[in-house]
Amino acid sequence: MPLLARRTPTLALLIAFVLATPSVGWAKLTQEYDLKAAFLFHFAQFVDWPADALPAGNSPFTIGILGHDPFGKSLDEIVANETVQGHKLLVRRFQNVDQVDSCHILFIDPSESVRMDQILSRLKGRSILTVGETKDFALRSGVIGFVLLEKRLRLAVNLAAANAARLTISSKLLRQSQIVGPVRVQ
Amino acid sequence: MKAPRTTIQRKLITAMMLTSTAVLLLVGAVFVSHDFNSFRRFLVQTLVTRAHILAANSTAALAFQNPEDASQVLNALKTDPSVVAGALFDQRGRLFATYPMRAASEEVPDEPGPTGHRFEGSHLIVSEPVVEEGRPLGTLYLKSSLEELDNRLRVDAIVMLLAVGGSVIVAFVLSTWLQRRIAHPILALAEVARSVSERKDYSVRSQEASDDEVGILSEAFDGMLTEIQRRESEIRLLNADLERRVAVRTVELEESNKELEAFSYSVSHDLRAPLRHIDGFAELLMRHAAPMLDEKGRGHLGKISAAAKRMGTLIDDLLVFSRMGRTEMRKTSVNLAALTNDVIEELKGDAKDRNVEWKLGTIPTVQGDPNMLRLVMTNLLSNALKYSSPTKEARIEVDARSNNGELVVAVRDNGVGFDPTYTHKLFGVFQRLHGSNEFEGTGIGLANVRRIVSRHGGRTWAEGAINEGATFYFSLPK
Repeated sequence: MPLLARRTPTLALLIAFVLATPSVGWAKLTQEYDLKAAFLFHFAQFVDWPADALPAGNSPFTIGILGHDPFGKSLDEIVANETVQGHKLLVRRFQNVDQVDSCHILFIDPSESVRMDQILSRLKGRSILTVGETKDFALRSGVIGFVLLEKRLRLAVNLAAANAARLTISSKLLRQSQIVGPVRVQ
Repeated sequence: MKAPRTTIQRKLITAMMLTSTAVLLLVGAVFVSHDFNSFRRFLVQTLVTRAHILAANSTAALAFQNPEDASQVLNALKTDPSVVAGALFDQRGRLFATYPMRAASEEVPDEPGPTGHRFEGSHLIVSEPVVEEGRPLGTLYLKSSLEELDNRLRVDAIVMLLAVGGSVIVAFVLSTWLQRRIAHPILALAEVARSVSERKDYSVRSQEASDDEVGILSEAFDGMLTEIQRRESEIRLLNADLERRVAVRTVELEESNKELEAFSYSVSHDLRAPLRHIDGFAELLMRHAAPMLDEKGRGHLGKISAAAKRMGTLIDDLLVFSRMGRTEMRKTSVNLAALTNDVIEELKGDAKDRNVEWKLGTIPTVQGDPNMLRLVMTNLLSNALKYSSPTKEARIEVDARSNNGELVVAVRDNGVGFDPTYTHKLFGVFQRLHGSNEFEGTGIGLANVRRIVSRHGGRTWAEGAINEGATFYFSLPK
């Protein structure tokens, strides 16, 4: 038993080392997007939507992906059989911003980065939690951006953007994030 | 009767002390166990609450994979020194964050274990699921030392023992005071009973005005003593009166007895003179006028003479009997065996023509009047000889034995015996069971025996049956 106990941390260290290695392999990439998919799903629990923006009746709570889908099956697997405040979860993939009709969380793939400002301005005023991973996504009026900090996936939150979208982000989530963008004036 | 002073007081004190100590210990034990349990519940409640708060605060850290934040959240545990370890496990059961930051591996387990709280050795462990919006995110594990509980128990026990100790001292003082109040009247009553039984002094009274059962007892006892005292003096008075009356009667009786005896003596004595005249003149008449009388006349004269002689014997015997009652006894040491032997030798002369077997047992020396005792033996032995005369082979035995502090002498013959129905009449004056034509005698002999023996302080009695012989007994005190 002591032999195994001594070996376990060594093994964990080895795995951590492999995970942290910046050599971007396919496996590493998959792992990263699994994590991001889980984060997307968890946003539903730590963000409050205004009452009029919540799905009516039996209509589902929608997580949208705009542009290229980097998650593959992982996002679908995570949300399968899950509910948010009694609503089934639905993953929808949009090719352009005009298709985005009913959506609560919208992941904007870096492939759309050239049109980013246009997309964000089109979504302005709608209660959609925009999530992206392009550089300074949150600073450029996205609500939550994925950032890599010391080789860890972290979040950047633009409170002004959230405010504009009438989204209330849980302080618990804010604890995990850096706040970017203009200081909220309200 | 020893004074039971210490016993009842000690019993009372012991009873009160035992009761109060038992009650105190019981109450103390209940209090301590209740306090222990409620404190344990409090500890569980506290740790569970802490776990609730920490679990709520660490949801985002788990959801967004932020172990640093989780460690920070767990670090809040340092405000409670009794928490020795804390850990967060993610949804897949992997260790996510620990408290302290670099916790020893033996403090943090590989898995959080079942949800809820449990006691493991000297530790309280809480496993709390981390849930956000109904979605499980992981598990929080908290391990708290129960040292505080042990300390609490120790302090409780010490406080309880001090309280019990103090209370026992107070109880001792109180019970000493109380037992004095209870025991004092009882002791006073016991003292009264003691003096009554030891000194037969019925005039003492308990005079104890206790308002409880002891008071009733004292009163009843005093009443009883009064009654006993009254009756005792009554009995004493009656006794004195009785004794006085007995003395008066005795004097009267003695006087009349003396008078009677003097009378019978003088009568007997005075009767002898005319009788001698009758006898003497009958003899003179016989000598002088016998040839002139015919056969019938001589027969009459002979009968007069014989009757006069018999009457003379009777009077002599009566005089002896009367003397036996009056003459003073001269008590000396008497060789009863030799005396009996003398009497037998004398009697043998009267029975030369008879076949009599004499047997003399071992007879000791006695204290008594030798003349009187000789008369007793003479009477008994001559009776035996007389009433065995019809028996061809007469046998007369004398023996003696000791019985209950007295010497019992028996005179046994194999003569005609007597009807046991009349045993009580044997020793009376002039009482005869056989006619004088059968056996001659005056009926005074056995009366004399009884009188002499009773003057010696002894008893007389007889056993016998018709034609089966008789045994006469007399006893002399040793």
